[in-house]
Amino acid sequence: MDELLARRSGALGLLVTTLEQAVNWGRKYSMWPMTFGLACCAMEMIASGASRFDIARFGAEVFRASPRQADLMIVSGRVSNKMAPVVKRLYEQMAYPKWVIAMGDCSSVGGPFNNYAIVQGVDKLVPVDVYVPGCPPRPEALFDAIIKLQQKVQRHEPLGERHR
Amino acid sequence: MSDKVDPGVELLRQRFPTAVVSVSESCGDRIVTVARDALLEVARWLRDDPTQQYDLLLDLTAVDRLRLGLQPRFATVYQLYSITRNTSLRLNVPLEWNGEGDGPMCPSVTDIWPTANWLEREAYDLFGIHFDGHPWLRRILNPENWVGYPLRKDYPLGGEPVNFSDDRDNPRFAHLGRQIMEGLSFPSELPPGMDTESHMVINLGPQHPATHGVLRVAVELDGERIVSAHPEVGYLHSGFEKTGENKRYEKFIPYTDRMDYLAGMNNNLAYVLTVEKLLGVTDVPPRAQYVRVILAELQRLGSHLFWLATHAHDVSGTIHSLLMYCLRMREMILDIFEMFCGGRVTVTGMCVGGLRQDIPGAFAGAVSAFLREFRERFKEYDAMLTHNPIWEARLRGIGYLDPREAVALGITGPMLRAAGIGFDLRRARPYSAYDEFDFEIPTATESDCYARYLVRMREMEQSARIIEQAIRRLPGGPVRSADRKVVLPPRPELNTSMEALIHHFKLVTEGYKPPVGDAYGMAENPKGILGFYLVSDGSAVPYRLHIRGPSFVNLQGTDRLARGHLLSDLITIIGSVDIVLGEVDR
Repeated sequence: MDELLARRSGALGLLVTTLEQAVNWGRKYSMWPMTFGLACCAMEMIASGASRFDIARFGAEVFRASPRQADLMIVSGRVSNKMAPVVKRLYEQMAYPKWVIAMGDCSSVGGPFNNYAIVQGVDKLVPVDVYVPGCPPRPEALFDAIIKLQQKVQRHEPLGERHR
Repeated sequence: MSDKVDPGVELLRQRFPTAVVSVSESCGDRIVTVARDALLEVARWLRDDPTQQYDLLLDLTAVDRLRLGLQPRFATVYQLYSITRNTSLRLNVPLEWNGEGDGPMCPSVTDIWPTANWLEREAYDLFGIHFDGHPWLRRILNPENWVGYPLRKDYPLGGEPVNFSDDRDNPRFAHLGRQIMEGLSFPSELPPGMDTESHMVINLGPQHPATHGVLRVAVELDGERIVSAHPEVGYLHSGFEKTGENKRYEKFIPYTDRMDYLAGMNNNLAYVLTVEKLLGVTDVPPRAQYVRVILAELQRLGSHLFWLATHAHDVSGTIHSLLMYCLRMREMILDIFEMFCGGRVTVTGMCVGGLRQDIPGAFAGAVSAFLREFRERFKEYDAMLTHNPIWEARLRGIGYLDPREAVALGITGPMLRAAGIGFDLRRARPYSAYDEFDFEIPTATESDCYARYLVRMREMEQSARIIEQAIRRLPGGPVRSADRKVVLPPRPELNTSMEALIHHFKLVTEGYKPPVGDAYGMAENPKGILGFYLVSDGSAVPYRLHIRGPSFVNLQGTDRLARGHLLSDLITIIGSVDIVLGEVDR
């Protein structure tokens, strides 16, 4: 039996791993972001999706308009007090497992808008996995954030619901 | 831009001797102070009388004069423009207030200029001025349950102190996050006239792939026909005006990039022109003016390309390739900007008195290479859409707007020109050497979505023409004004001249201080007329900074455009208005 398995697995190029690692590997290269642009950073997010920078190289090109189908929320721009409940609700509507990138200074810390209208960092509403500095960050910076997030997803241990 | 010889103002004084309190002039703008009780009468006369013809209410805002020491505390400001006579006039209406209620009263001019509807709601939202006779006075930018009026001078700027630490358990940071409001637990109010009993009201946005940002539209439907469409804005309200009133003049330039983030250069230009008008700087060198035109027209191309990309994408998914093509073209423009100032989207390329720095040596070559490629590719885009049957079926006859109605709604830019009115500030009131170039103002008469598409396409060709002429005739010389009270001296001069050192020190530590007065400046942006209203109290910080966003005013016409069409046409209509929410909500 052992002999048979060894022979067959050798022929198939079988790789022995844990189930978690295999699932995480699948997850990290097929992250579907939500079509959700807020402000200036959204322009760079769209540029990332276009042919020159091509976000598809990182497996994240399938932008979904519905939060139910998305696993990555890229908060691309300033979040106002009027928008804050909407952002929170969108996050809650996403299915687990889900991740958040705070793209740009505004969504990270409020950016240049330290005033009455803007929430000083989207991490007051939703848990953020990666912060990207820049006003707005270049597409390459967004890709760097996606790679960092992929590394984080690969390290993720328990299956099922994420613990925060 | 001055109207010193306008005889209309004298006629106004003769006609209404008691209503006209005073006539003054500031930075070349004519200002007429009118008593509140006579405002409606005067406004109606100004619009209808053949000697006046102020058919376009460009802007309406208010000033809280608490710290200017003027009585009464509030005044409303009306910036009028006559397209036929090419004159402008500013009405100033002081509002007596005895402290009763939460704000003064002012008669509403919505019956005279329908565009005042949203502008008055904005003034109510930010200043608490009650407009008597307004059809539906509600907050527009802030949430409905907001407390207070942010632009009043006794309202704090808000925000949080910046703590350079992420220590969340520290009690010093316990206040963090207090600013966030509870979400509304009730559905937001619908405007009067919406029949929710027999019609279906559906909600579009604020998270929707085809609303170009965080726009929300409540649509009343009879079957699939739109009975009325009510845009709700403010989801990106960022407090630009309040921030501007707490920063020095030159420090607001980077903020203008972030308003209409597809037209950063144009916003820079409109703002620096206004500050130059306020300061009285007239010696911007020709080279700087030419480069400003090149940058502004490149940005117009970029903005129109982005509009074309998203519009084609929204209207028909099959034209997805065009999204990629246009963005590829736009990347070339962004590369040129990056070469010039290091920024792609948010550029801050201009400064008061000229340019931040001279163009690099490879600039002209890169622009010429871009133009060559643009001309070639543009033919492809044109061929893909202009006679495409799907494109024509989706755009022709959709969203008709009567020219008179367009003016009454305050609509400017390509939308107005598609209605047959060839009004373009670059031609009507040339700024930055626009009068030295040979170009046409494309117009159309059908006034539907297809006409707007054609006008924008032809505008792109004209922009390319302007850039080509400017590059060919680019003059040499300095790129900044010689006025040392406004512009930093050249770096080498600091080593040799004590005076230059003092100027440098004063400008960096204190900034320039414009004389007391107010100025209204405007420029033709890709989306329409962008206006800035600045009030100076003699300090280095603007006392009042108001922005007239063309997207904001144009968006108001959505309801008028959408009535009677199918729900799917609403996406075409929003696309043809060409809005950027950063500018709508400011």
